[in-house]
Amino acid sequence: MHDLLIRLIAGTGALLGGLALLIAFNKALREMREALDRRRRALLEPAIYEYANATGHRAILDYLPKPLSRRDRRLAEAALLDAARVVKGESRDRITAAFEALGSVRVSILHLRSQRWWKRAEAAERLGLMRSRAAAEPLVAAMNDPMGEVRIRAARALGIIRGTTSIRPLVLALTDPSRWSAIRVAEILIGTGTEAVDELLAAYDSLPHLARISALDVLGRIRSLKAAGLIRKALKDPHPDIRARAANALGHVGDPGFAADLTEALRDPEWPVRAMAAKALGRVGGQGAIAALCEALKDRQWWVRANAAEALRLVGPAGRDALIRMLDADDTYARHQAVAQLEEGRIIDEYLADLASADPARREAAIGFVEKIIRLERVDHLTQQAIDHAQEGVRLALLKILQRPA
Amino acid sequence: MGKEQARILIVDDDPIIRRFVGTLLAHNGYEVHEAEDGEAGLRMAASLLPRLVVLDLVMPYKDGFEVINGLKDDPSTRRVPILILSVKDREEDVVKALNLGADDYMIKPFSTQELLARIRKILERTAPGGTGCTTS
Repeated sequence: MHDLLIRLIAGTGALLGGLALLIAFNKALREMREALDRRRRALLEPAIYEYANATGHRAILDYLPKPLSRRDRRLAEAALLDAARVVKGESRDRITAAFEALGSVRVSILHLRSQRWWKRAEAAERLGLMRSRAAAEPLVAAMNDPMGEVRIRAARALGIIRGTTSIRPLVLALTDPSRWSAIRVAEILIGTGTEAVDELLAAYDSLPHLARISALDVLGRIRSLKAAGLIRKALKDPHPDIRARAANALGHVGDPGFAADLTEALRDPEWPVRAMAAKALGRVGGQGAIAALCEALKDRQWWVRANAAEALRLVGPAGRDALIRMLDADDTYARHQAVAQLEEGRIIDEYLADLASADPARREAAIGFVEKIIRLERVDHLTQQAIDHAQEGVRLALLKILQRPA
Repeated sequence: MGKEQARILIVDDDPIIRRFVGTLLAHNGYEVHEAEDGEAGLRMAASLLPRLVVLDLVMPYKDGFEVINGLKDDPSTRRVPILILSVKDREEDVVKALNLGADDYMIKPFSTQELLARIRKILERTAPGGTGCTTS
């Protein structure tokens, strides 16, 4: 029994020792291979970079040793992938041509059909860096891959490759939100910039409801005036959520010429449309925006009032003056929203500082303003400032006003 | 003495950038030296007195802003022109670098032809009369 135990321990020890040796040997072998690769790559790099920086018609293969070994091909591809990340313009185009000439694009396209999902995902990402238009069709097919990671990397790659062949499938991918995230596709489309506008405009009428919403978001974020006609038309769509997104998109495009459309949208029967229109009007400004937003402060829906008040605060000095005027409005909602935004925009604090001003006119104006806020029964901020304000003069003056009988 | 022999120091912690830009500049006739961080960059600038420093902003030990300050504080390198080559694309970084004394600013990824054109322009602007040195 004792012998058996000793043999068992000795056997286990020998096995573990053997394993450790094997691991150490493998590690040493891998490190040696990596060191040799680094040295070989350092030899190849000058020629590869010279090719990328050249302006002539010589192909990459003319710069590399002949015949090109599999290892040199792999190392050249790695060097080109690194270079692809740091350059743009003509050198970038030459790097794409090099990937095509080395067969890297063809191999990565083949890997898109690998049994292993991570290999497919890696291939999709590499094809994005290679930017070859030859990869557009296979990447479109990869957007139907069962693995989400492969689909999103394929979409990203198509976004990088750009061009009609790449953008059209991305626009169509907006139609399938149940299978993958329309938001991520929309972000990729926004990244492609104005190139996506024509495709979105062409496809818009054939898109289903949810995809139209995403398309409007993308068009707004790209801020293309070319899309203004379609977005304005969408503002009259029978679906309120489309109208709301259209209003939001006009706000992103930001042209003051949209003020009239958005003012009209402030009278929409659906409150989400009115709320978005108020927000958008704050972004575009323009003629009549202030008056329309002041009117929207009286809306029966809280979100519309809140957005209109915020828009007035953000629209500039004229909006700020309008908020101050709204403290005298007949409508209680409007007055309360005005106070909230004046507080948020620290305009109340500016008046508070004037309570300790040496100028009697400014002091009087500040007292009148504070009394108005007190009459509206919005005293939380004032009470806090009567305790916390940095200036003793302000604290004392504020305390005195707050303690006055109503 | 022509622009082709001008000595240029590349200060960047990314070896790919150093090698890529180095090859580009060497191929265009410049004498290229490389430093892998800000401290080494300042040391090499003081000893080599290059005609131009191509400088990254995000680096360990001493970032690019500190290197600009270091170059401007040292009387021997004060007049060495600096071209920033950085991934930092925010307006405030560009303005800060130019205010500290950088002569030009390029954002990565960059166009090699544009980089060469800008380098050429800086070297023309700061040609003889400055403290920069050439090897011929």
